[in-house]
Amino acid sequence: MTLTDLGLLGQPLLAVLAFAAAVAVTDQRRSAVAGTLNAALGLAIALTGIGALLGQPGTLTLGSPIPGIGLLSLAPDRLGGIFLIVVGLVGALSAWFGVGYAHGASATRAAWAAYPIFVWGMAIVPGAGDAVTFLLGWELMALGSTVLLLSEHASRPQVRSAVLWYAAMTHLSFVLLLAGFAVLVGHAGGASWAAIAAQPPTGASASLAFALLAGGFATKAGLVPVHVWLPRAHPEAPSHVSAPMSAAMVKLGVYGLLLLCTRLLPEGPHWWGIGLLLLGGASAVYGILQASVTSDLKRLLAYSTTENLGLMVTGLAVAMLLRTAGQRAVADVALVAVILLVVSHAAFKTVLFLGAGSILHATGERDLDRLGGLARLMPRTATATSIAALAAAALPISSGFVAEWVLLQSLVHGDTRGPGADRVIAIALPITVSLVALTAGLALLTFVKVVGIAFLARARSESAGAAHESPATMTVPLLVGAGLVVALGLVPGWVASGAAYAVGASGVEQVGLGGVALPAVTALLDPVALVLMAVALAVPVAVVTARAARRAPRRTVDLPWGCGGVRVDPMMQYTATSYAEPLVRVFDDALQPTRDLDVTHTTESRYLVRAVAFRQRMVDQVERGLYQPVLGVLEAVGDVGRRAQNGSIQRYLGFSFTALVVVLLVVTW
Amino acid sequence: MTESLFAQTVATATGLLMLTAVLQVWRRSTDASTKLLAIQGAALALLVGAIGLAEGHAELVLIAFVVLAFKAVALPWALARTIERSGIHREDSPAVNPVSGLLAAAGLATLAYAVSRPLVALDTGPAAHAVPAGLTLVLVGFLVLLTRHRAVSQVIGFLVIDNGIATVAFLTAGGVPLVVELGVLLDVVLVVFILRILSARLELAHGEVDLHDLRELHD
Amino acid sequence: MTALALAWQVLVAVALTPLLIGVMRQLRARLEGRAGAGVGQPWRDARKLLAKEPLAADGAGPLMAAAPLVLVVSSLVSVALVPLLGIATLAWVPDDLFVVVSVLLVGTVALALLGLESGTAFGGMGSSRHMMIAALVEPTVLVAVYALSVPVGTTALSAILQARMTDPATVVSPVSLLALVALTIVVLAETGRLPVDNPATHLELTMVHEAMVLESSGRDLGWLELGSWLRLTALLGLVVNLALPWGVAADLGVIATLVATVAFAAKLFLAGAIIAAAEVFLAKVRLFRVPELLAGSFVLAFLSVTASYLIV
Repeated sequence: MTLTDLGLLGQPLLAVLAFAAAVAVTDQRRSAVAGTLNAALGLAIALTGIGALLGQPGTLTLGSPIPGIGLLSLAPDRLGGIFLIVVGLVGALSAWFGVGYAHGASATRAAWAAYPIFVWGMAIVPGAGDAVTFLLGWELMALGSTVLLLSEHASRPQVRSAVLWYAAMTHLSFVLLLAGFAVLVGHAGGASWAAIAAQPPTGASASLAFALLAGGFATKAGLVPVHVWLPRAHPEAPSHVSAPMSAAMVKLGVYGLLLLCTRLLPEGPHWWGIGLLLLGGASAVYGILQASVTSDLKRLLAYSTTENLGLMVTGLAVAMLLRTAGQRAVADVALVAVILLVVSHAAFKTVLFLGAGSILHATGERDLDRLGGLARLMPRTATATSIAALAAAALPISSGFVAEWVLLQSLVHGDTRGPGADRVIAIALPITVSLVALTAGLALLTFVKVVGIAFLARARSESAGAAHESPATMTVPLLVGAGLVVALGLVPGWVASGAAYAVGASGVEQVGLGGVALPAVTALLDPVALVLMAVALAVPVAVVTARAARRAPRRTVDLPWGCGGVRVDPMMQYTATSYAEPLVRVFDDALQPTRDLDVTHTTESRYLVRAVAFRQRMVDQVERGLYQPVLGVLEAVGDVGRRAQNGSIQRYLGFSFTALVVVLLVVTW
Repeated sequence: MTESLFAQTVATATGLLMLTAVLQVWRRSTDASTKLLAIQGAALALLVGAIGLAEGHAELVLIAFVVLAFKAVALPWALARTIERSGIHREDSPAVNPVSGLLAAAGLATLAYAVSRPLVALDTGPAAHAVPAGLTLVLVGFLVLLTRHRAVSQVIGFLVIDNGIATVAFLTAGGVPLVVELGVLLDVVLVVFILRILSARLELAHGEVDLHDLRELHD
Repeated sequence: MTALALAWQVLVAVALTPLLIGVMRQLRARLEGRAGAGVGQPWRDARKLLAKEPLAADGAGPLMAAAPLVLVVSSLVSVALVPLLGIATLAWVPDDLFVVVSVLLVGTVALALLGLESGTAFGGMGSSRHMMIAALVEPTVLVAVYALSVPVGTTALSAILQARMTDPATVVSPVSLLALVALTIVVLAETGRLPVDNPATHLELTMVHEAMVLESSGRDLGWLELGSWLRLTALLGLVVNLALPWGVAADLGVIATLVATVAFAAKLFLAGAIIAAAEVFLAKVRLFRVPELLAGSFVLAFLSVTASYLIV
């Protein structure tokens, strides 16, 4: 019995156990027991993933509830293994955090019972060996997350609208996937991946299947323009649920795209790659632009998820384009970059959402404009969250930096020159580099804003000033997650070679103490060596500082510079909104903010100002331009439908009669 | 003229042509635009002269001097006079903001390179590399024509297009016959002349030279 | 041996940096008709500041002391990575241009966080502007890196420089010219020179860099100044070496290194003098016209990439 077998067997057992515990255990101890069992479920999933990545075969077959379709089977491959590890670890950390965090509405019987369904559903998707099992896992995941999302609906009315959006988009995704898989399965005559890959459709039906499936996966991945559910659902879910939603669930959309592009339909025309590239590039830039001007911490993180998923899809699209052009070695590097982005984003986004949860727990605030000075009051949360934020900004030495470095290396080494070079690639690559660079720059600003406004300086509201550090059940998972982020950044070689193994890529090696070498593009990155170099250079600086500090120690005065001695009030600090204001001005045309400025004058003179009120509102322009017209049409159709139904029994009989006549007419035709 | 020196001269001239085209979109001051036009003319003359020396065509070298005299000296001088007299030193209401204009210029340059790839592949000489630059000039010139309102800016846009056409013509045909080039130059001189008179008249009638006002005449 | 050469490079850079600033300030003063404080003044300032006690406002956190050190170390690492004197590099720490850019960004972020930590309106203002400029500079930098790396097929700076030394014709190609102009604008923006930021301003509302360091004093300020100056040396040194690759040591020999040191000092001071002279005639552009400047430099970098397709 292999590790994979063991894990696959352990998962349903632990899921059932966690479900039962959530239902049976009393309110006081439910979070502790159910949270622990869910964390164990996560670890079992991660172990399964490790087994699968190491190439140990394992299968689990369940009897089908639907007769005639065959048995449902789980048989994770290496690619699935990576995603199982991601899902498992994210699930484990979040559930562990939930032990201390979940209370009240988010710790009810229904909420904790939905948690194992959600987590196990996420594990079924990458483990599935056929389309039916895949879709089953997809629905379990959607069901579990919807119930969890609903848990706080009584206290906040926004939750209901978020759930509506989420449910609608999830179903859109499911319907598209169902149709797409139907095309593939209908052509292959079997639902297993192997059968589909052996007999892929060609021509128009292949393109149809690709478009449907890519649309479905993109909806789950929260790409522009089908991202609208993300900035609503992530902020409204309890934080120990938003973390796995954002760090693991949306990632399964990327898994689906990888499955589609590398295994099921590897030979596609050019426009598939170009379509994905447009989708990815637009998501990356639009996502981070919205994130950079948002002040709601969790909404900001949700938009940043759209950005990161956009980067992953960009990498995948570049890999496809390069492969079509026959540049396999560079395409492999791009694929490895995608996996590194997946792993890195899972690590830092989990910590960021859990950190936001910890802040919410301590202050009751998630608006950055009302936070500040938390580094002193919540040092552990601040440390962990800051590390994750710097990774999200792709600064060295962090996981995000390595992933972005590999992505950029693959982008600049695509051969665009010479008479034989591909013209599409020659145009696409420089534009992609520019978009990725703009994304990186804006991400830097966004996360400096998060760290600087939330944790540094002074509290901007009373609730932030009265914050306290969260209990160890919350801070320890946070710190463990932050440790993972740093480890991934310091010794990325292990993950990179694992990723290369998972996607069958050559040209990625591990060097030194866990550095990454890309012989295909003659590049090398050894973060440990870089750190050692920095330490060596820091020694003289430290010596000078220490000697000077002995002679002239630091002295505290109570007056910061206020243009000549005005006492500085916390009100005078820059807020998140003011921090992003120059950027809003620069991207005014794209963001189209609405601003109100009310100046109240004193009664004595209209030259003297008593108060100034400033309000700024950002509306998602994609939502306004694309969804509101559609919703308007739907509403109009609904109105017609309502008018058709006035409650009179005759009218309903009339409808039935008409339908009958129409059917008879059609049949006789 | 040695091969490498020729290649370098062509490369530098091409780089200058592109640079001045981009700066043309960037700068809103008409004085600066005029100076850029002069530099562009000089770069074009350099290009023509280099080709003439490399291929041993004496008349091309002669044309280079003519180009230098007209495009780098005479036309900018005439434009500067017009600007001086009209007193309009800024293009104050371009249809697109400078950032969008610049990005559009980048897009047009990419388009020019993509389109001229097959053309360049035919000819392996260094001069072929300047073809996309010429095409970029034409496209950017159109962009200037489309986005600016002032009559002077329109003339500048037109002259950029003319420079672009000249670049492509010199490179692909190995030099336009002298007569044709002289004819084109004459056309351009005429245009500037007419615009000067026209702008002077407009100024008398309306006080300002804005193409929007011309449309008002129509209304 | 290579480590020794790199240590020498860092030493030379640290020694030359205050002189570079001194030369630039003195030249500017003379051109503006002032006497100036002398070329050695930045050296004396740095020494004085490093010995003085830092004053911290009430409630300031440990970041006030840590950020200056992070900035100076990031600047030192980038000075060590960029091939200023020779093209020899350590095997495990290649001078990858992406890595250099990211290491400099660590310093940028440290400064921005320092500005916010002070809790004053000016600090936040400077930090916000600084990050906006950094965010918009990023596309230009990476696209310029791309343009420079295309002809050699690697992003390693030493390889790029070596290609330029062996074939000087590539330096004046349009690819290289456009990329260098773009990089120069980037250097001006990143190091807070005119026309993006005025290093000599005394008016808080127009400040970018100075606003962030308003709260720092003594030793902290000394490190901040030194760190920012070293950034200028690293970036300017990179650009001058790319533009004039002569004199860069091709091997680790003592004579070659000494020649390279002298040549580097001459090139650096020349570039500094040109910038200082240009600054006399330049005014700071409005903050909201800085994006135009950066978009212009981005377009130049982009054109450089586009042009590089055809130079086989």
